[in-house]
Amino acid sequence: MTGAEALSGGPPAGDPDLTSPGLEGSPDALRAAMGRLLLTLADTKRILGLRYSDWLLGAPAIEAGIAASSMAQDEWGHARLLYATLGDFGEDPRVLEHERDAANWTSLEVLDGPFEDWAQFVGRSLVVDAALAIALEGLKAGLYAPIDGRLAKMLAEEEFHRSLLEAWCTRLASGSTEARGRLGAAITGAFPAALRWVGPGDGPHARLREAGLTSGAPTLRAALVGRVRPFVRSLGLDLPGPASLDDDWDGTRARGAGQPDDDVVERARGDRNRALFVE
Amino acid sequence: MEEIVFDVFARKSRGDPLSHIGYLSAPDAAMARVYAWKTYDEENWFEMCIVPRSAIIPVNREDGPFAANALVPAGGGSP
Repeated sequence: MTGAEALSGGPPAGDPDLTSPGLEGSPDALRAAMGRLLLTLADTKRILGLRYSDWLLGAPAIEAGIAASSMAQDEWGHARLLYATLGDFGEDPRVLEHERDAANWTSLEVLDGPFEDWAQFVGRSLVVDAALAIALEGLKAGLYAPIDGRLAKMLAEEEFHRSLLEAWCTRLASGSTEARGRLGAAITGAFPAALRWVGPGDGPHARLREAGLTSGAPTLRAALVGRVRPFVRSLGLDLPGPASLDDDWDGTRARGAGQPDDDVVERARGDRNRALFVE
Repeated sequence: MEEIVFDVFARKSRGDPLSHIGYLSAPDAAMARVYAWKTYDEENWFEMCIVPRSAIIPVNREDGPFAANALVPAGGGSP
């Protein structure tokens, strides 16, 4: 039985996968784990899109602002697709998108506050975008068929984000001492949380790995390090290791403690316009 | 911030003529490539490419955006 079959139809009698260690024989637990992963991917993309949008008119060049606008649209499009898949898991995508409190958002904690300057924009985004790409590639390598057809376009768009962010990191790293310092702080500050998030290795993640729905924590973490470290070293910087699950890991939300600020969640939900025009 | 002007060319379908669709400024080709794709995204382009404006040599005009690159001094290329 494939992982997709496990999610969609439950187990045929005597399926050996469902008695394997770590899966605990429960399709419900597997479905919950997959829902958790898809939701944190969707939430992270939605909040990242808003953080991009904050810089549409404040970027160092008009072309960079236009690129930020386009990237924001990409992330929101990806998020919409991912929210829609959660309908397969008994969730109401409309409720997920528009009716959750900030405390229930599952976006990567690196995005909880705004990007304070352009160095934070490119440094944090470099790390978060890479983590998103690795998580999506992990799914691509898995067996969850409903999302597979959507991943290629997402990953192609992510490659353009990567090109832009790396080009800007290179530019800032060769600039003033202050620019270089701020960039380094942004990258190294974001990396431990991203490395933990991409491959948490906790119970729900282990269920997905056992079912072949994503890769294991060591594989995903190594992929993120492999994607980011050579570039960061080329800038004369290096990367710290992962945050520990023992520190502040929230297994329900698949992220660290805390929550995105109220303003960004209000914008993500579209509260003001929905109150006026929809309800 | 020293910027380079790049001209952007694209075609909608295989076999269509490559058309000039705009220009942009960027510090280098890597950034220009992304700016072009993200700025001129109104079509689902089959192919897009960018050229540094400094590489475009005018053939028959002494004015226009490429005049600075003329191989023939002004007045020497007209029939």
